[in-house]
Amino acid sequence: MKKVLLTSAVVAALIFTGCSTKDPSIDATKNSTSQQSSSNNSNSNSETVTGTDVVVDENANNGSDSNEMSMVDLEGEMKSVNFAFDQYSLTPDMADKVSDNAALANSKASAYMIKVEGNCDEWGSDEYNYALGLKRANSVKSALIDKGVSAERISMISYGESNPLCTEQSKECWAKNRRVDFKLLP
Amino acid sequence: MYKLLIISFLIFNLSADDLTIDVSKQVDSLPSLTLENSTRVDSSINKSFLRSLMSDMNVLSIFNVNRRSYRVDFSDENVARESKKSSYVLRFKIVPQDSGAYKTEIKFFEQNRVIFQKSYTIHKKRLYVFVAHTIAYDINKVMGEDSIDWIKKKVVIARLSARNKSEIIITDYTLTYQHIMIKGGLNVFPQWANKEQNALYYTSLSGSKPTLYRLDTTTGKRKKILSSDGMMVCSDVREDGKKLLLTMAPNGQPDIYLYDVRSGKYQRLTTYSGIDVSAQFMDFKKIVFISNRMGYPNVFSKIIGKKGVEQMVYYGKSNVSCSAHNEYIVYKSRETSNAFSRNTFNLHLISTKTDFIRRLTATGVNEFPRFSKDGSAILFIKNYKNQSSIGVVRLGYNKNYLFPLKIGKIQSLDW
Repeated sequence: MKKVLLTSAVVAALIFTGCSTKDPSIDATKNSTSQQSSSNNSNSNSETVTGTDVVVDENANNGSDSNEMSMVDLEGEMKSVNFAFDQYSLTPDMADKVSDNAALANSKASAYMIKVEGNCDEWGSDEYNYALGLKRANSVKSALIDKGVSAERISMISYGESNPLCTEQSKECWAKNRRVDFKLLP
Repeated sequence: MYKLLIISFLIFNLSADDLTIDVSKQVDSLPSLTLENSTRVDSSINKSFLRSLMSDMNVLSIFNVNRRSYRVDFSDENVARESKKSSYVLRFKIVPQDSGAYKTEIKFFEQNRVIFQKSYTIHKKRLYVFVAHTIAYDINKVMGEDSIDWIKKKVVIARLSARNKSEIIITDYTLTYQHIMIKGGLNVFPQWANKEQNALYYTSLSGSKPTLYRLDTTTGKRKKILSSDGMMVCSDVREDGKKLLLTMAPNGQPDIYLYDVRSGKYQRLTTYSGIDVSAQFMDFKKIVFISNRMGYPNVFSKIIGKKGVEQMVYYGKSNVSCSAHNEYIVYKSRETSNAFSRNTFNLHLISTKTDFIRRLTATGVNEFPRFSKDGSAILFIKNYKNQSSIGVVRLGYNKNYLFPLKIGKIQSLDW
């Protein structure tokens, strides 16, 4: 019991210490900014954005256009499209998401191939579920082509139920898993 | 109601050999069987072998198996005093050999009289469960029952171990023996390539396109067969191993193809714009498959090379997988329009010669049914309360047995 109390006390102390360090860290940034301000004058605020410049430099080193984001960053901008149970047709709001992805694919991500990945919920590991994932991917592929993305840039794969985003037993979770993801390939 | 009346009528008109009729044998009416263990107590496979053998004797479904076993000297002429009430006694002894092999000897008694004896040798200890299965096969034969060749067969499964990760495992029908054949990546839908079970087909989803490989399980050498955008599955291998039924989607459209192993050429069998998948050979000329051409997934048949399909099942709202053996079809069916109720997917058996339907399972998600080659048993996957198991239905005995997987989830199987 003593141990529990001691542990609780230590944990509580750490929590409070953690909380207390939050504000000082912000203060520390302010302090450093102010120090930089004093040495670099008006350019000090720009210097806090230096990290972004470094990323651009790295891209440049990799042979990419300086205006282009990395493949992974771009992939993160592509929106997954979710489907209703046992369905593979696109509704207007799903088509809007695909449209946004197509715009991205034809601009900043124009140098990459697009892999369209169909996924299903956990209700079956049989072929039908994989085919459902494929039909979802194919609906999305057709919509991408309609929006001007070259068919030759698009490949498809269905992962069926084997690539779940979450594994809880709930309608919300299953709905999250019925989706098409977009991956970029060099 | 009208259909129910027809079904009730048919029950009384079907022959006793019809597998769609429930056969209930009362446990009490079965002859009793007791196991006698003559293996040294300190033997490392003593307990596990006894457990497997007892399980197999239960699966035979022809004995009321005594839960207790007794120790006795193998050479004793009489059964143990405690076993005397039993109609049958199976005595066994495992002896390690100098060569590293294991020899198992058995004596099978009926009313204190030896009616069968045999010895079995394995060269690797971890194969012990197959000795138990072979003994069960022999005892079943001695008892005059129909052959159960399936009990000795190896089973291949794909086990999902994590998101986008799986293993292809060679196992037995009880999941006791497990040999990881392929690890790393996402490999699914393994299918034995021949009767000898020394090669298998499987789909790799690790690359940019689904790809079908053939793997020699004795050498580990693999050969790329085909790849297809979107989907590529070997659904069935013809009995002679010369033809495969594939699901491919070269244009994003899942259809069924017949693949010739020798020439490498394939022929498209279905052209429906929806989903056609999971084809199984009924014989050399006819296939059954799953299609959503009626607006929901259901079982259809087709004669190879001819136009037109025939609907095979008229019960169930979503029949998404099946297996065929002669006139029998077992299929997975959603019981309710509520996709998320507890009573989700069950297996049903129909005969194409009658209208009778036999429900084979009751709870959970039951899927991936596969008939044994002799049609007397069905192997399937059961997912219930976060546990994945292999189930065995013994059709002639109206019995189901479950063997749980400790880790992961079974994606597919073949035996």
